Amino acid sequence: MKPELKFTDVISQQEKTQKRKNDLSSFEYTYRAEITSAYQLTDMETLYRLQIINPDERRRFTFIPGQFLMLEVPGIGEAPFSISSSPSIHGEVELCIRKAGNLTNYLSKIGRGAVVGIRGPFGTGFPMEEMHGQNILLIAGGLGLAPLRAPIAYVQENRSHFKEVNIIYGTKSPAHLLFTYQYDLWSKDDINLNIIVEKADPSWKGSVGMLTETLLKILTGRDDAFYSNTYAIVCGPPVMFKFVCSMLNKFHIPMQKMFVSLERRMHCGMGKCCRCNVGSTYTCLKGPVFDYWTVMNLKEAI
Amino acid sequence: MRAKKADTKTYLGIPLYRPKVAFFEFSSCEGCQLQMVNNENTLLDFLSLVEVVNFREAMTERSDAYEIAFIEGSITRDDEVKRLKAIRKNAKVLVALGSCACFGGVNQLKNRFKNLEWVKKQVYGKHPIDTGAVRAVGDVVPVNLMIYGCPIKKEEVEKIVLDLALGKSIVVPQYPVCMECKANENICLFDLGEPCLGPITRAGCNSWCPNSGAGCWGCRGPAEDANVEYMKKIMKEKGFSEKTILERLDCFGGFKTK
Amino acid sequence: MIFRVFEKKELKNFFEVLTVHNRIVGPVEAGRDKKNNPIYSFTEVSDFNNIKLDYTTTKLPAKRYFLPFHEDLSTFRIDNGDWQKTIDYNANQPLIFFGLHPCDINALNKLDKVLLHSVYPMPYYAAKRKNMFIIGIDCVPQPFCFCRSMGSDTALHGFDMFITDLGAKFFVEILTDTAYNFLKNIKKEEPREKDHVLYMKAVSERNKKFTTKVDTTDLAKILDMEFQSEVWKQWGDKCLACGTCSNACPTCYCYGVEETVDIDLKGARKTKMLHSCNLIDFAEVAGGHNFRAERHSRLKYRYYHKHRGFVEAFEESLCVGCGRCGESCLSGIKVPEVIASVRGGKVK
Repeated sequence: MKPELKFTDVISQQEKTQKRKNDLSSFEYTYRAEITSAYQLTDMETLYRLQIINPDERRRFTFIPGQFLMLEVPGIGEAPFSISSSPSIHGEVELCIRKAGNLTNYLSKIGRGAVVGIRGPFGTGFPMEEMHGQNILLIAGGLGLAPLRAPIAYVQENRSHFKEVNIIYGTKSPAHLLFTYQYDLWSKDDINLNIIVEKADPSWKGSVGMLTETLLKILTGRDDAFYSNTYAIVCGPPVMFKFVCSMLNKFHIPMQKMFVSLERRMHCGMGKCCRCNVGSTYTCLKGPVFDYWTVMNLKEAI
Repeated sequence: MRAKKADTKTYLGIPLYRPKVAFFEFSSCEGCQLQMVNNENTLLDFLSLVEVVNFREAMTERSDAYEIAFIEGSITRDDEVKRLKAIRKNAKVLVALGSCACFGGVNQLKNRFKNLEWVKKQVYGKHPIDTGAVRAVGDVVPVNLMIYGCPIKKEEVEKIVLDLALGKSIVVPQYPVCMECKANENICLFDLGEPCLGPITRAGCNSWCPNSGAGCWGCRGPAEDANVEYMKKIMKEKGFSEKTILERLDCFGGFKTK
Repeated sequence: MIFRVFEKKELKNFFEVLTVHNRIVGPVEAGRDKKNNPIYSFTEVSDFNNIKLDYTTTKLPAKRYFLPFHEDLSTFRIDNGDWQKTIDYNANQPLIFFGLHPCDINALNKLDKVLLHSVYPMPYYAAKRKNMFIIGIDCVPQPFCFCRSMGSDTALHGFDMFITDLGAKFFVEILTDTAYNFLKNIKKEEPREKDHVLYMKAVSERNKKFTTKVDTTDLAKILDMEFQSEVWKQWGDKCLACGTCSNACPTCYCYGVEETVDIDLKGARKTKMLHSCNLIDFAEVAGGHNFRAERHSRLKYRYYHKHRGFVEAFEESLCVGCGRCGESCLSGIKVPEVIASVRGGKVK
């Protein structure tokens, strides 16, 4: 026999389904998706609706609230975005994107009709079913409302499964408010909407101040049953987590019922590039959604 | 050479911005501009991305209608200051091209001499030119973008210009030359007993000098977060004299040693 | 396990048989340092005389053959505002590695855990790794080696065959049928009791030569306790943030991805570049916030990943103790000293 090594084709050894996490061929596979709408929310943020082009892929694509995907514009870049639409819609996602860099600036130019690539969904989500029968505090600071919109949609669609639902949302100014057109619908679904801005403008009639002030009002004077039967989802800048979570903790909201979503740099979304590591934990695999107990155990998390 | 007339180019359906560009040389060897025309394989593609209205190294026509001005060279005479200020007024984007424009380059070495009269005599002999201290372009007018290197790396300029045309943000490496040198699997110059500024100099040259066995002289200036003080200590411990170390750091003006 | 012994001269025959049909990578002398000591590196070889099997260690690991510094993850064809993506795993031929030390074999075994046997296996690595034929060889421990402390001084698997110098003969451990079949091409015999004795003697001689030790007891826990320790700042002051430690490391796999458009606008590419957690932009996010803006926090992170995070995930450290990072660090930041300082609360 000739002492010659045979080339091993790692892909041909498996089915070419390109759908499962453990398939080698799924690693760099992107769904082609069309931007079916680009709706400008504020000066900086636009809501993009993406529809996976291939009907089979569209049927199969599902996610849970809190998960993210990697969006790629060929030659321009790829970055992670949390999905901010209802998980009950298959193969179509909405991403609320702030112009903050290369890719996001380019996206704002290509707009409706363009085809982009998406990979995912990746990471952990909010355990919505576990929250059934409980009160929910949905707390967002600034752009944090984007990842929160998926659980809000879930709550709306399953409103009977939840008791008291509060959205506490704080931004810098009224001009920064996202999804203003949905507030009425949220209220009609018996979701208490508490909005507070740091700096009012002349037309603003709502609360002015820090988000924690509103939260304090909602938490004060409740009975023990409320605290122990309440879940909290917190999204926003790291400095906000700190204050909000320690306040929730003070009121004895169980740590395993408090969830945060962390934002980190990511180049793969699959636990390989290490850019998203917090301490030594991959945000893309073990997160981005963590319960507060886990966050307390992560070095350099908040 | 004429700038090629091209149809409006697009990328992914988005029309490219095709800027009118001009190249100007100040006190320099014009080597950076030469680099630009020295890339036959991609030159035509490159020129179709921009409309060159002024480029003495490559064409005779001239025009003052430009959006991006590439400035090569350092500023050392009063008439240069005047000319540079006029260009700044004309240009939307002013780019410092090469080490001389970015930091003063080799030219700024003369600033180390107390007696400039002696320097002038040595350099110009019987045909004196009235020159003053050497300044970087950024010390005279605001600069929008720096393209580092002595000379500049044409691949890098092409990438920067392409990114400008695409509307991408310009990204230059923040890390030092060592990263590229290791990727090229060069033997570390310090193992060979040679001084090298690779650990503190901004990458982007693909470790040009170390690839041919020469230590880095820091022509691209410091990397972000360069640990210059500790680097000096290391070089001293490795037996290099204060003079050798300062000569390297001072050579292109990117490292502020005083 | 199947063992054989063969005369030393047979190794050359073995090489020559293999080189006819295969590409071979091995340790060679790449140059001499200022003290005239040889500098070794892994490169492709076709002449047995160029392979230096008595090499101390190579400056850089053989990483470029399984984790290249740069590689395209995909390319795009751009046409009329639309795009087509092409994925290539950048492997097309098997490679024989002739003479890897146990530390480097263990490095591959560790990489396998995260890049092959975890969720989302990485095809770029798999395609190269599955096409490696590895001939391991025993080393002479160097003063900077601390593989014994890391449990990587011997390789139990991850190779096809492993040879040990018995003086007049080589002792070979055969792990795969491919190796067994390849070895049919040379003269060899079953080891006798005296060969076993020689083997054990060689092993214990080698063990005596390990001089550097690292105390890894409870290290994962201690790293957590000492997260705020001042020693990190002191090491951070020395760090040049040049990324050389990561490039010299046989297990550092962190990377960055960049997308570029071809200058003719007809194509684009997505390129992966090995990165280093010590580089300034490692944890910088869009908008400019840098989660590890300070040198010491990045240096600390490297130790966290190697000696804590990986331990948590796979119950072993990601460091094999080859000592390359410390040897190539101009600031002289060496793992045994850093860990001792964290344990002792001060930098010596």
